Amino acid sequence: MFDTLGERLNKALDGVRGSGNLTEDQVKKVTREIRLALLEADVNYGVVKEFVSNVRERATGAEVSKALSPGQQVVKIVDEELANLMGGTAHKLSFASRPPTVVMLAGLNGHGKTTAAGKLALFARKLGKNPYLVACDTYRPAAIEQLQQIGRELSVPVYTEGTGPKPEEIAERGIREARDGGYDFVIVDTAGRQVVDMEMMEEIRRVRSTSRPHSVLLVLDVVTGQNAVEVAEAFQEYADFDGMVLTKLDGDARGGVALSVVSVTGRPIKFASEGEKMGEFDYFYPDRMAGRILGMGDVLTLIEKAEQQMDRTEAEAQGKKLMSGKFTFEDFLQQMQMIKKMGPLSGLLGMIPGLGKQLKDVEIDDRQLGRVEAMITSMTVKERRNPKLLQNPSRARRIARGSGATQQDVQKLVKQFKEMQKMMTQMGKGGGMPRIPGLSGRR
Amino acid sequence: MARSWRSFFRRNADEEQENGPTVASEPEPSTEDLEVGNGHLSDDLTEGVPKAEEVQAERKEPAPADAWEVEETEPGDAEETLPESSAVEEARDADTVAELQESGGWFGRLRQGLSRSRASFVGQLNAAVAEFRDVEDEEFWERVEEILISSDVGVPTTAKLVGELEQEALERNITSGAELRELMIEHATSMLEGPVELDVSHEPTVILMVGVNGTGKTTTIGKLSRFLPGTKMFAAGDTFRAAAIEQLQQWGERTGTPVVARERGADAAAVAHEAVHSARREGTDVLLIDTAGRLHTKVNLMAELDKVQRVVQRQLPGAPHEVLMTVDATTGQNGLRQAQMFKEVAGLTGIILTKLDGTAKGGIALAIANEVGVPIKLISVGEKVEDLHPFDAREFSEALFGDL
Repeated sequence: MFDTLGERLNKALDGVRGSGNLTEDQVKKVTREIRLALLEADVNYGVVKEFVSNVRERATGAEVSKALSPGQQVVKIVDEELANLMGGTAHKLSFASRPPTVVMLAGLNGHGKTTAAGKLALFARKLGKNPYLVACDTYRPAAIEQLQQIGRELSVPVYTEGTGPKPEEIAERGIREARDGGYDFVIVDTAGRQVVDMEMMEEIRRVRSTSRPHSVLLVLDVVTGQNAVEVAEAFQEYADFDGMVLTKLDGDARGGVALSVVSVTGRPIKFASEGEKMGEFDYFYPDRMAGRILGMGDVLTLIEKAEQQMDRTEAEAQGKKLMSGKFTFEDFLQQMQMIKKMGPLSGLLGMIPGLGKQLKDVEIDDRQLGRVEAMITSMTVKERRNPKLLQNPSRARRIARGSGATQQDVQKLVKQFKEMQKMMTQMGKGGGMPRIPGLSGRR
Repeated sequence: MARSWRSFFRRNADEEQENGPTVASEPEPSTEDLEVGNGHLSDDLTEGVPKAEEVQAERKEPAPADAWEVEETEPGDAEETLPESSAVEEARDADTVAELQESGGWFGRLRQGLSRSRASFVGQLNAAVAEFRDVEDEEFWERVEEILISSDVGVPTTAKLVGELEQEALERNITSGAELRELMIEHATSMLEGPVELDVSHEPTVILMVGVNGTGKTTTIGKLSRFLPGTKMFAAGDTFRAAAIEQLQQWGERTGTPVVARERGADAAAVAHEAVHSARREGTDVLLIDTAGRLHTKVNLMAELDKVQRVVQRQLPGAPHEVLMTVDATTGQNGLRQAQMFKEVAGLTGIILTKLDGTAKGGIALAIANEVGVPIKLISVGEKVEDLHPFDAREFSEALFGDL
């Protein structure tokens, strides 16, 4: 649906190459594209205006380095500016000198407060804390049960008084209970509210004052659009938050909201919440978000994910094997399983810069991997080690039957595998990366 | 004028003949009606449909009064409506849901609810319109663009709308701001207009509720059930999120609707299958199936949705008759991708725009209607049951562009 900014800039600067300084005219052309990209990423209109004029100022007359194209040069400036605005580095969790540390969560309905409460509890435990949850959403049906179920899952106690008492009173008593029980990290979950609902906004102010939190976090869905600024300002006024949790980052929203709210409130985004599993929660790295907003991929995250999941020595051994042409179906299967551990393929590929364009119309189907896996596991060990055997049609037929695929599928897989082997051998000999049809970028 | 619930539901011809097309207060379905209904069922469908007597024996709930006559059941029932704000108190005292809607008018409520943000928005537009000199005023069009983009209408749809407006203003030689605003509203309206009615003419009618996480599926099911004609049943198809089943069960208790549920972690398709079976056995008029929130980017979860749909369809050809997707009004441009993906996988029949009571203007609805082509069917302008309304394109556009 959206072209990545990189592609657009290349289009805008077609023909402009090489050294020298960026002219005013070039910068103007480029900043128009940046403006559009930011608006499509849901960055607030006013914020975009200001941001673009900053970039224009900085880029005009900037020297174009030899390593980068003029377009890339501007992107680099934009990227730096974005990261600067969003705080540059990650904000680590700090704890009260006299425990317990109290963290209160606030936000709109449905943005993921209760889930974030559970995730934060687990996160704190990983940092050696003893977490405790207080359920103050007395409004939404089954909100308390939700927190209780999450608490059971994580073995974190949940304080609740049902839906009767006032949230500010529940919070106060819950925190006292936690202190008495020796818990040193208390998370107060509150009801979702709309900022035009004055009574509810007054309530969050009261909950804040009775719970005296060390930190108030605004929980914000990454898909939030232009009105995020009004929402953040209202919560700043009533809940005086000191940081934000950006949720549902596992979707494909560009997340311009991050830039909007940070630049308007001056409060950093502290945590990134990804999926529905409790472990998918981490500090927020602004420099990575910049690339996402611009649609430039997120190489850093990809690298880190790969590092987490892959055994380095194993990976090196695999690499050597790959290059030597001795790569077998057994190795292939092993690699596939490693990749699967890193998460859905579509998510991974989206992180690779430049792949955005190729993937735009391609449906990435993780089930495809499953089918290939099924075919390989239907092979005998001998066949896996010696793919040549599979030229025998009766073997291919057997594998097809065993894996629920067609014989053509099996033949196709074998053919592709052989091509890959050839390609890799070539690379191993120092021939460089051969051109893959359809993936070769225009230079 | 508000689009009324009365013309919102497309029902089968028999019923309309019996009761007349504009049903003010439809009588409770009589025993004969029920038996006739089930007779049809056993003719049409071969497997697993018990005899009418059995159905009678199994029916526990008396059929509630018709939707727009639904009274807040017991006066003392504190859990009746979602007590999410103290304004709920007023609602509980109101005689009927319908009456409240008729008297207040949802447009008034929408305007009122949005008054804060609207003040600045309309102010901006008024100022822009007041400054309007002639169609070649670049600055004016830039302002209009800004206003639309700031309402989440998005760049492509804004460009299209402004382009059309500019051209027509030029052709018609429009010189006054008021004329121009009317033109804007007309264009936005025609972009938004689509088939709005909800098809409940089947026996049973199956409505599948889908959407990304936190957009209000379960809440909307609870609210919508209060307006639907005939007997209802819920299926707790969100077997994933903690306490999602309990949330729907609480709605079931509040609205007196039976809920088909299994344990958390159960196969959603199995729940749907069981629910369709029960709905047919009990002669339920409308079955509402809740599903887990899912991001449209998750291939496995979208495949699960496809499975739920196939299971329902195999059991009851033609079902689900409505596939409704909830979209949070605060959603930005990602709403387009959501709608597109859900349309591809689930064959959406309509969008429900939720949480319009905040500061969000819901301009994404315009973008979805224009770029994805799925009609908006319902909007929710508040947390109370009666805050759910059939969508009216003209009024929504008027609300978007301010008072006339």
